Amino acid sequence: MAMQPHSKKRVCYYYDSDIGNYYYGQGHPMKPHRIRMTHNLLLNYGLYRKMEIYRPHKATADEMTKFHSDDYIRFLRSIRPDNMSEYNKQMQRFNVGEDCPVFDGLYEFCQLSAGGSVAAAVKLNKQASEICINWGGGLHHAKKSEASGFCYVNDIVLGILELLKYHQRVLYIDIDVHHGDGVEEAFYTTDRVMTVSFHKYGEYFPGTGDLRDIGAGKGKYYAVNIPLRDGMDDESYESIFVPIISKVMETFQPSAVVLQCGADSLTGDRLGCFNLTVRGHGRCVELVKRFGLPFLLVGGGGYTIRNVSRCWTYETSVALGVEIANELPYNDYFEYFGPDFKLHISPSNMSNQNTPEYLEKIKNRLFENLRMLPHAPGVQVQAIPEDAVNDESEDEDKVDKDERLPQSEKDKRITGDGELSDSEDEGEGGRRDNRSYRTPQPRKRPRLDKDGSTIKDEIKTEDSKDDVKNISSVEEPKKELPPNP
Amino acid sequence: MAANMYRVGDCVYFETSSTSPYQIRRIEELNKTPSGNVEAKVMCFYRRRDLPNPLIQLADKHQMAQSEDSPIAMKLKKICLKTPVGEEQAAQAVLDPALAAMEEESSELPGTDGLAPKQRHQAKHRELFLSRHVETLPATHIRGKCTVTLLNETESLLSYLNKDDAFFYCLVFDPSQKTLLADKGEIRVGSRYQTEVTNLLKDGEEDVRNSEELETLVWTPEHGLTDRQIDQFLVVSRSVGTFARALDCSSSVKQPSLHMSAAAASRDITLFHAMDTLHKSGYSIESALSSLVPASGPVLCRDEMEEWSASEANLFEEALDKYGKDFADIRQDFLPWKTLKNLVEYYYMWKTTDRYVQQKRVKAVEAESKLKQVYIPNYNKPNPALITSNSSSGKAPAVLNGGTNGTATVTAAQLCASCQVTNSNQWYTWGPQHLQYRLCGSCWQYWKKYGGLKTAGVFGETEVEAAKGPRGEGEDTALSVSHRPHRCTVLNCAKEFKLRAHLARHVATAHGSGEGARPVMKTRAAFYLRASPFTRLARRLTRALRRPRHYARSPFSPINLTQVKHECSAAMAGLGAAELRAAGAAAGAARVRGPVGAVAARLAAARGTPPATGRHDWLTLTPRDAMPHPPHVAFPKPPKAPDGSLMYERVLSRAEIEARRAEAAPAQPLKRRAYDDINGLDRGAREGGECAAPPPAKRPNKHPAPMQRPSREQYAAMCARAQATGQPLPAHVFTHVNGKPTNISGRGGRRHVISWMDAPDDLYFRANETAKVARRSLSCGELRRGARAPWRALRGGAAAPAPLHHGGAARLSAPAVYSRCTYPARPSPSPPPPPGTERRLYFW
Ligand SMILES: [Zn+2]
Ligand SMILES: [Zn+2]
Ligand SMILES: [Zn+2]
Repeated sequence: MAMQPHSKKRVCYYYDSDIGNYYYGQGHPMKPHRIRMTHNLLLNYGLYRKMEIYRPHKATADEMTKFHSDDYIRFLRSIRPDNMSEYNKQMQRFNVGEDCPVFDGLYEFCQLSAGGSVAAAVKLNKQASEICINWGGGLHHAKKSEASGFCYVNDIVLGILELLKYHQRVLYIDIDVHHGDGVEEAFYTTDRVMTVSFHKYGEYFPGTGDLRDIGAGKGKYYAVNIPLRDGMDDESYESIFVPIISKVMETFQPSAVVLQCGADSLTGDRLGCFNLTVRGHGRCVELVKRFGLPFLLVGGGGYTIRNVSRCWTYETSVALGVEIANELPYNDYFEYFGPDFKLHISPSNMSNQNTPEYLEKIKNRLFENLRMLPHAPGVQVQAIPEDAVNDESEDEDKVDKDERLPQSEKDKRITGDGELSDSEDEGEGGRRDNRSYRTPQPRKRPRLDKDGSTIKDEIKTEDSKDDVKNISSVEEPKKELPPNP
Repeated sequence: MAANMYRVGDCVYFETSSTSPYQIRRIEELNKTPSGNVEAKVMCFYRRRDLPNPLIQLADKHQMAQSEDSPIAMKLKKICLKTPVGEEQAAQAVLDPALAAMEEESSELPGTDGLAPKQRHQAKHRELFLSRHVETLPATHIRGKCTVTLLNETESLLSYLNKDDAFFYCLVFDPSQKTLLADKGEIRVGSRYQTEVTNLLKDGEEDVRNSEELETLVWTPEHGLTDRQIDQFLVVSRSVGTFARALDCSSSVKQPSLHMSAAAASRDITLFHAMDTLHKSGYSIESALSSLVPASGPVLCRDEMEEWSASEANLFEEALDKYGKDFADIRQDFLPWKTLKNLVEYYYMWKTTDRYVQQKRVKAVEAESKLKQVYIPNYNKPNPALITSNSSSGKAPAVLNGGTNGTATVTAAQLCASCQVTNSNQWYTWGPQHLQYRLCGSCWQYWKKYGGLKTAGVFGETEVEAAKGPRGEGEDTALSVSHRPHRCTVLNCAKEFKLRAHLARHVATAHGSGEGARPVMKTRAAFYLRASPFTRLARRLTRALRRPRHYARSPFSPINLTQVKHECSAAMAGLGAAELRAAGAAAGAARVRGPVGAVAARLAAARGTPPATGRHDWLTLTPRDAMPHPPHVAFPKPPKAPDGSLMYERVLSRAEIEARRAEAAPAQPLKRRAYDDINGLDRGAREGGECAAPPPAKRPNKHPAPMQRPSREQYAAMCARAQATGQPLPAHVFTHVNGKPTNISGRGGRRHVISWMDAPDDLYFRANETAKVARRSLSCGELRRGARAPWRALRGGAAAPAPLHHGGAARLSAPAVYSRCTYPARPSPSPPPPPGTERRLYFW
């Protein structure tokens, strides 16, 4: 269970070019357009070309009813803005109408969102990828027979169900500002999925997520809730995220992780009340990535869309282990990012109501709960990734550099031998040995079953640095306007 | 500074009554009202003292149950407070044997184990009840910040007691229904809620999942191309796109220049297509290149932005204006040939155009009334409950008020009712007056913030409070300590109100305070000093006040009140009642000086001038037509209509103003002498020397805004200068037409709403030595003219000494006005977008 902070990951990214055109309705804060904005940033940052890009299939009703009830999915499939009046009763029953409006293409939207997460999970199962990203997913409030909080179909639950075919234990982490109630409820009574949600609690949607909600039945102690207060900043977030996640990894020993990256926990979010920057949010991705487990990244909330796309772009770069410039590249939606046109954002001056004492108390209580886990091995070598606890910025920079595979190196190698080797590019050295395989491994391992030599990225040359800078500078817009016609 | 900045979301103390504890509210919205005040929409928290007793008891039980794990507690947890519980139900519930079985802890809050009794008592003051009740209060009543957090079971109450202004809550109170509710959602358990968990694949079991059915590969990083090659290919595909546009007729109409074609060919759709082409060609640049230029001609990728014609774009904007972002309706009524997806995609691209940015700016100005934060200075006015007579005991014992000061006989009433101290810098009366309780300064603060006494002492908690009369009464008097009538400024009304709020209500109801309503009040209302008979008497009796003229001229110089009181009382002691009355009355009586002629003769005699004999022709009135005409009439009479009524100039509509502005566009050269700017139209008159300017064709307008408006640059220059010299801005810079701001600059400009809140307050001009010297050098007539026409630069001919004219624009006038000049502080509008295309042309 040690980490590979120096490894390049093979990243698969799921996106459908239609997703940005679904529209929840006038004044509705949920804007699928943010996913397209992210996508365009990825292209112009040159990150697109470094990933496998997939267009997901549309999840079928059959796939969705693996979790959802048949009548609920049937309802979603048939309801349209023009026949709403015929469904009054069902709309009430399924909580569709107000927060979760009926909009044009609603069902397709759910299909794409769920299709991405399911395909991503299958990809991880087949070990065809180490990190999968579906920013169109992450709709964590959807319940078995009920829409909730802008979510209709719970792509996360569907994805986890898929992962459970190959993984005895799956860890779900939720850094949306809202409680991940849909996922928690779905797996409330099982010990095979641990849900860990960091969220604002107290007079806040959806009202669940109390520290005392710990799961039920066999699932007791497998739901972990971190109730937080207004104004969480990067520092306090990391101070609670690192110990909790390390402890969870250590005691639960999952073999796959799903991270819901709801960006409404960013500062200045239209609906949120935290004070995280893009860096602080992305730090969570970085920390989870270090555990080197099959890793599914999904989207979620996020209602100040320029910051959402900043955040998810940055997190894609973190997943890839590529440094990107703070200067945003020109793209179709460049004007959205004014007046500074930078990738990173600054926290506001709002006060942080989460005192260190409060966080410490919460942490201790959760540690007590985690100690109750039956699987917890007696004394386990700590699972904290190197650098994880240690948050000096200098250190952080070093890690970034180390993790980065300079493009020129890659190119040189590629052009040099004229042949591709997955293992070289991925540098997945030692991964399998360190993974916790407490369960019989599935036989089918279509890919990656080779002993690739591990490439460490220590080799660094002057031109490699230059080249990295160019990744962004090439895409930078010329600032001068052409003369007027 | 930051402490006085109140943001939306902050929890704050509000003072709505000077004698009761602060109210605790959370700011939900801050709105600037048309009258320039800031109103806070707040959510209410309630203290324990605000809740009916049965509910408090139930709340305590509930809390106890939360921290216990006994079966009864578990049962209680299940049933209790998931639905709102009312007063009667609560009273019933508390009597329930199961609940009664729970150890009665004398209604102490749970979680207080290990706390001293005093701490337990104080912990109660920190408990609040959340409500969904929202009200609106003037932001000026904010008295500081506090924090209210949901109590977490891991926290001890001590952590709240150890922090100032920290409160917690557990339950939600509905003030209208008088019910309690636990604010906690629930994860439901049952087959209807949980998912069936997939089993691990067994050995030999086939995974039915097949990635090929689930996804389509669009790009892979394992392509053998270098970044450089990809970049080159992207440039080529853009070039092909540019060329394709040159060949395409419809494109060349839309993008007449090469630049525009290149920009259009550089949009992301071309890049995505290029990447797709590369992928489809198996990452062979060569074959990708050839598929960019098939036999049918070079590939042309256009997104919605480019696809739409100008008229479609106009239709869309019009529709957006009409329907908002209801795209289904827009499609149906305006653009039925587009799909909904077309519309959405176009909409998000349209938002990057200058046309949208312009619209947004307009909206932003309109939304300026919604504030994110507000600065409220510390409130320093003494509370009316403050006992002033006994303050600073020992320092100035000679006090006039009599009454409570005697020798220091410490009676019960002079102990602090809370902490029993006898020594404090400040004392406050507290509780019903006849009981004469008082609180020391620190206990008073505690009482205001936490709504109780530090110790659960003899006086209990709220009994005294309850014994007081209705709060409304006290409130009014409390808030109007100084006598400042709020007068309605609407013509022919002039009603006075004790409270500004009342005035605001009056204005809203009686005159209708719509958007277009005229400003009705100044930010700082003028006040007058009402001299009581005693004051008048004191003026006559006291030596210290013998220089009334001096004090009138320098209202800022202090008067020793103690001395006045002392002297006055001494003097009064020596007078009988009748004499007193006479002395008082004399003040009001006019002195008989005789006819003006006699006075003049007397004065002449006093100067030694021989008394003129016969008629004093200088005393006869000048005939009206022989009177000199002033070069400038401030408020000339409008012409008369045939029916005898006065014809006032019509206030221009915005359209008319726009039209006029267009006519009068050729602005004056920027380089002008400063005073020209300041004096607006007077310039013409002065430049023609002292002789009168040709009579204006229309009614001369002192504020000629609609005709002649400064450009934005001029405006900025004026503001800067005004700030530097401390001069007010010329009135026409911030013109209101019909109460609405007018558009100062055109395209891309930002409308300046200068609220009348920013209008200058009445201030006095404090003359320094230089000014005084200068004043002496001016003739009496010049001074008078200056006073009457403060907007004019004083020329004073050669007589005016140089130092007066710093910047050539110093003015010397009696009611000199100093503008607070908030205008220049506004963020300067961003540079205007480049004219020409509405789409950004970025390409490389
Ligand atoms: Zn959320
Ligand atoms: Zn006291
Ligand atoms: Zn009135």
